[in-house]
Amino acid sequence: MRLLANLALQNLGRRKARSLLLIAAVAIGSGVVFTGATLMRSIDDSMAVGFTRLGADMMVVPEGALTNITAALLTVEPTDLVLDADVLAKARLASVARAAPQKIARVEHSGIGSHHELVDLIGIDPALDFTIQPWLKEKLGRGLRAGDVILGAGRDAPLGSQLLIFGKPHLVYGKLGRTGVGTHERGVFMSFATLEALAASMPQRPAVLAPGKVTGFLVELAPGATALQARFAILSAVKGAKVVTGDSSLSGIRQGLAALLKGILALMVLMFASMAVMVSVLFSAIVTERRAELGLLKAIGARGAQLIGVMVVEAVIATGVGGVLGVTLGVLVMRLYERSLVYYLDNIGVPFVWLDLPHTVAFAVGAIVLAAAIGAVGALYPAWRASRRDAYDLVRGEG
Amino acid sequence: MLACRQVSKSYKTERGLVTAVAGIDLDVAAGRFVAIIGRSGSGKSTLMAMVGGLSRPSAGTVEVGGTDVWRLSETALAAFRNERIGYVFQFASLLPTLRLIDNVALPAMLGRRQSTAATYAKASSLLDRMGLGGYLDAYPSEISAGEQRRAAIARALINDPALLLADEPTSDLDEQTEIEIMDELLAVNREIGTTLILVTHNLALAEQAGQIVHIANGAIVT
Ligand SMILES: Nc1ncnc2c1ncn2[C@@H]1O[C@H](COP(=O)(O)OP(=O)(O)OP(=O)(O)O)[C@@H](O)[C@H]1O
Ligand SMILES: [Mg+2]
Repeated sequence: MRLLANLALQNLGRRKARSLLLIAAVAIGSGVVFTGATLMRSIDDSMAVGFTRLGADMMVVPEGALTNITAALLTVEPTDLVLDADVLAKARLASVARAAPQKIARVEHSGIGSHHELVDLIGIDPALDFTIQPWLKEKLGRGLRAGDVILGAGRDAPLGSQLLIFGKPHLVYGKLGRTGVGTHERGVFMSFATLEALAASMPQRPAVLAPGKVTGFLVELAPGATALQARFAILSAVKGAKVVTGDSSLSGIRQGLAALLKGILALMVLMFASMAVMVSVLFSAIVTERRAELGLLKAIGARGAQLIGVMVVEAVIATGVGGVLGVTLGVLVMRLYERSLVYYLDNIGVPFVWLDLPHTVAFAVGAIVLAAAIGAVGALYPAWRASRRDAYDLVRGEG
Repeated sequence: MLACRQVSKSYKTERGLVTAVAGIDLDVAAGRFVAIIGRSGSGKSTLMAMVGGLSRPSAGTVEVGGTDVWRLSETALAAFRNERIGYVFQFASLLPTLRLIDNVALPAMLGRRQSTAATYAKASSLLDRMGLGGYLDAYPSEISAGEQRRAAIARALINDPALLLADEPTSDLDEQTEIEIMDELLAVNREIGTTLILVTHNLALAEQAGQIVHIANGAIVT
């Protein structure tokens, strides 16, 4: 009802200082929770090491391959060493759920990027791949075809545009979201067949492009299998291979961080709880202060639900506005510190990736809804108690 | 119209049980004007509140138009207060954050039996009748105490109540204003036929009533 909603709104305006303080308190609380949750998830995602982040548990590469564990990025430097494309399939290992083969050709003078830029042309098997295609942020409305390429987030050619690679036209089929994995950010992905067709145009044919050979596999463990089991199984079945897992020194840090973040989460829950108690205490006082008016409303025929409604709407508006304000502040703060945070994390070797938009929006909506819910819950009990009093007692200022 | 049977109200206080109203029997026929008189603290307001559905009696029954008021459900009781009773309090009772016109329209808006336009038209004509036609958009704090009391009467009349309860509506007003306000109430009783129960200290005024009820120590004295 408009008049009752009006009443709730006017009531907020009557005690401006108090309303503003309440809004500010809720804004701080929900801002901290929103910012904390978003940062936590972003950092947690960013800490996921290289291929782990892509959704793989381990990587199988030729024994002599150089693995780069200097940073959080765990990638394989492309070399001329290769494995047979069918080794894992033939071995039929119970501990391996999926294995995605990749051919990585690092080429120069390809026509992509600056003249001397080393570009990774990465061949995938679209049917087996589970680490690239899930990251497609945008793509053409059809399946991947011969002559199509997928670009990492670090390259900016528009979707559907033509890209000359070694003079041959290719179509930009899709673009990946930010993965934070270096080789992926600037990679150019295509099917094995497309890569094979390119081989003829290259000044010299990389070893990995030999038929039936691959640079390595990204492996997903079978449910219940441990990394150790899989490692032994693979090493005994595949000659000349080595298994790289994500358990570098960094995962220790990551676990520590995860524990810390859990602690922060617990603190945030406590903060929200204390905020709920505070709002409830405040609204007990507000209801007491307004009892004459509530009694009057009751005397002229307002139903219990309408009385409760006036108080709850007032509370929900205040805490909801606080929630919106808090999220807005949170976004501003994160914008403000984005540069220094990203710089710092990059420095310690963690390429920072922000939480994706849908999740961020979900957190924002969650924080606002939670704030509004705290208002509703806080006001509900005192309002309900008042609504059950005799109108006359309320009007006389008792109860 | 109104039948009270042994209505009583006692309050628990730190000094023990205080009996404000002790077993009152009262019958009022429809369309009558009844004056309730009695010393301060005799229980007049308490009786009015029990009749108007604002205060639950400790014992006894109140029947208005054949309805046993205090056996109604909470929702039905709210509707009863809204539709059947017009209550004018002993003190200022307008909502300070609403304009006069909104204050007067509010009871009708709560019930929602009429369109908003019709409600506001009626509220405006009621305020007009109370001599407040120029203050529709004013807030209660912007008008005098007497004008506020008149607006409260307009509000009490918005839903065409069967029973108008006025509890010393002029207690804190000057004589001239008191006469004007009383004239309005009596006009409503005479012209519309609304049953009027009026608590007053003004004996001259009480004389005009068709029925005088004298209360002392929570009971009717004859
Ligand atoms: N909530 C309450 N708690 C305790 N005692 C009460 C309460 N309400 C009323 N009383 C007592 O009941 C008695 C009757 O009060 P009431 O207000 O009905 O008197 P009244 O006749 O309207 O007086 P006045 O002319 O001053 O308005 C008084 O003695 C008062 O102290
Ligand atoms: Mg009184």
